[in-house]
Amino acid sequence: MATLEALLIDLLLRVTDLQQLNAILGDPQATALITGGLVAFAAALPGTFLLLRKLAMTADAISHTVLLGIVLTFLLLAALPGLEADLNSPWLILGAALAGVATVLLTDAIQRSGLVREDAALGLVFPLLFAIAIILISRLADDVHLDSDAVILGEIGVVWADARSHCLQDCQPLEITPDDPRAETGRRCTNCVELDIGPRDPAAEFEEYCLNCGSYTAAEAWRARLVPQAPTLVFWPRAITSMLLVALLNLAFIALFYKELKLGTFDPALAAALSLRPALLNTALMVLVSVTAVAAFDAVGSVLVVAFFIIPPATAWLLRDRLAHILLLAPAGGVLASLAGYEFSRGNFLGIAQMRDLLLMLDEAIGLDGFTEWNTSISAAIVLMMFLFFLLAWVFSPRQGLLLSLLQHRARQQHFAEQLLLGHVHHHQGTAEAASELAHAGLHQHMGWTPRKTQRVLARLRLRDMLQIEDGILQLTARGERSVRRFMALRGTSGASPAAGR
Amino acid sequence: MSHAGSRNWRTVAALLALSLLAIPLGLALGNIRVDYTLVTVAAGGAVLGIVCGVLGSFAVLRQQSLLGDALSHAALPGVALAFLLAGRELGWLLAGAGIASWLGVLLINTLVRRTRLKQDAAMGIVLAAFFALGITLLTYIQSRNDASQAGLDQFIFGQAASIRRQDVLLISVVGLAAFVVLIALWKEFKLITFDPSFAQANGFPLRLLDVLLSTLIVVAIVLGLQLAGVVLMVGLLIAPAVAARQWTQQLDQMLVLAGIFGGLAGAGGSILSGMQQGLPTGPLIIVVAVAIVALSIALAPERGLLWRHWRQRRDRQRFTAQQVLQDIHRHALQHGDPQYPAPGGMLVTLRGPLARPALRHLQREGLLNASAGDDWKLSERGLERSQAAARNQFLWDRYRQFGEDLGLPSLAVDPQQPIDRLLPADAIARLEALD
Repeated sequence: MATLEALLIDLLLRVTDLQQLNAILGDPQATALITGGLVAFAAALPGTFLLLRKLAMTADAISHTVLLGIVLTFLLLAALPGLEADLNSPWLILGAALAGVATVLLTDAIQRSGLVREDAALGLVFPLLFAIAIILISRLADDVHLDSDAVILGEIGVVWADARSHCLQDCQPLEITPDDPRAETGRRCTNCVELDIGPRDPAAEFEEYCLNCGSYTAAEAWRARLVPQAPTLVFWPRAITSMLLVALLNLAFIALFYKELKLGTFDPALAAALSLRPALLNTALMVLVSVTAVAAFDAVGSVLVVAFFIIPPATAWLLRDRLAHILLLAPAGGVLASLAGYEFSRGNFLGIAQMRDLLLMLDEAIGLDGFTEWNTSISAAIVLMMFLFFLLAWVFSPRQGLLLSLLQHRARQQHFAEQLLLGHVHHHQGTAEAASELAHAGLHQHMGWTPRKTQRVLARLRLRDMLQIEDGILQLTARGERSVRRFMALRGTSGASPAAGR
Repeated sequence: MSHAGSRNWRTVAALLALSLLAIPLGLALGNIRVDYTLVTVAAGGAVLGIVCGVLGSFAVLRQQSLLGDALSHAALPGVALAFLLAGRELGWLLAGAGIASWLGVLLINTLVRRTRLKQDAAMGIVLAAFFALGITLLTYIQSRNDASQAGLDQFIFGQAASIRRQDVLLISVVGLAAFVVLIALWKEFKLITFDPSFAQANGFPLRLLDVLLSTLIVVAIVLGLQLAGVVLMVGLLIAPAVAARQWTQQLDQMLVLAGIFGGLAGAGGSILSGMQQGLPTGPLIIVVAVAIVALSIALAPERGLLWRHWRQRRDRQRFTAQQVLQDIHRHALQHGDPQYPAPGGMLVTLRGPLARPALRHLQREGLLNASAGDDWKLSERGLERSQAAARNQFLWDRYRQFGEDLGLPSLAVDPQQPIDRLLPADAIARLEALD
């Protein structure tokens, strides 16, 4: 991890300078933005396949149960000597992946017993594992910096605080020995404990010892004011590294197994017949989901992750049909939504409105007792923006949008009404009852329409030169005649009256 | 049917008695002092558990368990908004939660019907989006720093300790109203749960009933939120029903049992969380409820895992005993003497380790006599039994081979069944007369 970070820093320093880099990495908002974008990117990739394989709720379950993996691994690390128990340990990823796979296996096992159906099995397993994790956390609240708020929401706003320092210049580690001029000495009583006496007791014996001896890294030496020259440091937030790694892992997995994943998603039977091991691939996908969920856990908690997995791919799916397009569009949309969401959390609603103004308006309208401070969790704001994008895609999608289907529905209705009227005229034209059936004045009664609708249909047909009115009687024009013949030929109903002249 | 029904009712009654017994036992073991708060909390937990258990049964039977999860998350913005508009009054909070969940159902159904998204994706989207909205509102409320907002967080993980006596009353009234609707429309709900297309064909207003039943499930969720919290609510909704399903095949019994289990889990979890500061109620209730499920899956008669295991074992033993008896008979016939003993070692080699208990079993039944050492021979009755079995097998073989040619009635071939009871006597005679 550290090497990767060093590499990245090296790369970044070629395009920017040190001061700017440290300003960005030390800025809560900039790091939140970067992390949010990375989570959205990393989750949308496996999320696309989850969506298409109808595993959305499984992903939700896994993102809950990785918490148990985290807590148990943490406890194990704390119990084992020689291993440091902290929430950044790479072992946690392993524990979480195991928990995710265990969720799926346990659900399968319960379901296979034939006693409980699939949905209920999932609904039993993940609340249980999550409940155990919460109970453990509440018992260990003093040792682990995890509380229920962090579990629900994540702490994307403080990812900058948990950083690893990288030294670029003046990086000499320092060793202070007792005879170093910078060594500070102190005295301590050697027999006080043994004799149970205070240090002021005349029998007390003392020895001198070095207070600050030991080895220092360059950063520690500077912090302890042991060196005059400050080393050049870059503080790199750990969350960014782990999210970046996971994003790359997901990208690599999908690039490598694109064909197998695609076939396994759309035709699992064929995939199995071609020995592409769809079951194994499915497990691998679940591992990826767990790993992504645990890496994102610090940033967005465990309840909202499912949004990052599902909503951007669902949005993309409403817009495009091809898998490759969805795989490109979903991460892009996710990153965009996390930008917008980040701005939203600061009160800027898509650049259209300021939430503060909105709250002021609301305060005047319904009375908020003057509390107009806009303050929200960044992760929740990102999810809301993803949802907004989803709704927009649903309404405006050129393929299956609400607006489009509304327009199409209207167009079909209009077309049908026009055909009906043309057919009516065609049917009665030149017959004895033409004078009554085709009279402009009473037409709406014959068609069973409102006068307004009749006028509109008539106007459209006259505009298109298909119908004309002579002496108050409707007549087909040559174009109208052709149109009638065409659609009657299409239906294969030569003589049948399209309109019962009522 | 009615016989099985009444026996199952006895099971239900026994389980009720057992769970009532658990109360004094738990009190004694846990060393719990009974006081006013404890009684309120336990009563609240029990009532909520009962309502959730009964109504959740329909969610389980209709395979809508995960819908419960989505709806409980979707309730959060309703709770927060109701708090903003009306303050911390349980009735309003519940109303808000109900409306929000309702909108959630509506949105999920619309998404499934109007887009290419499937049920799971629609639920995931609604769950996360509504929850995020709820969190946003909650953060806003927290930023106002009202003293009275304490207690909203409890909707996330549940806090039984905050239940007051009038809350218990309100919950009971709402729950009772839900039960009244349930009983009034019992036949209809039963029909649309098990055979919706039949219900529709018979002119029942399917959509309306569907919506009504979903509403009842929403009521259960909304009531239970206080206790279990939005994240874990799905467990309280479905665990009692899944447990109850193991014990019975009948809907009415299942609902009663689910109520009992739900009440037990609700009260148990609430009391446990009341014993120690800072323990959220929701997780404890879930653990108790899932423990009940595990016990039910293991122990339930007919369906349970232990029961199934035991029956398989018994069947295997019976089968081995039959085979061993035939082996001895055949061995004796080959030696031309019906009393000719067969060595036990040979039988074990033939039929595996189950042969030993089978031999002992046959001896107890008086079908075998042990002679000196490890030799076994048929008794008088054993001989009769094996001859009858051999004849049965012989007739089945002939039936399989010639039954169709002779124009005999067609049967599923099962040599375990006595063929002379399945076929008329003249058919048996014709099979025997073949050569």
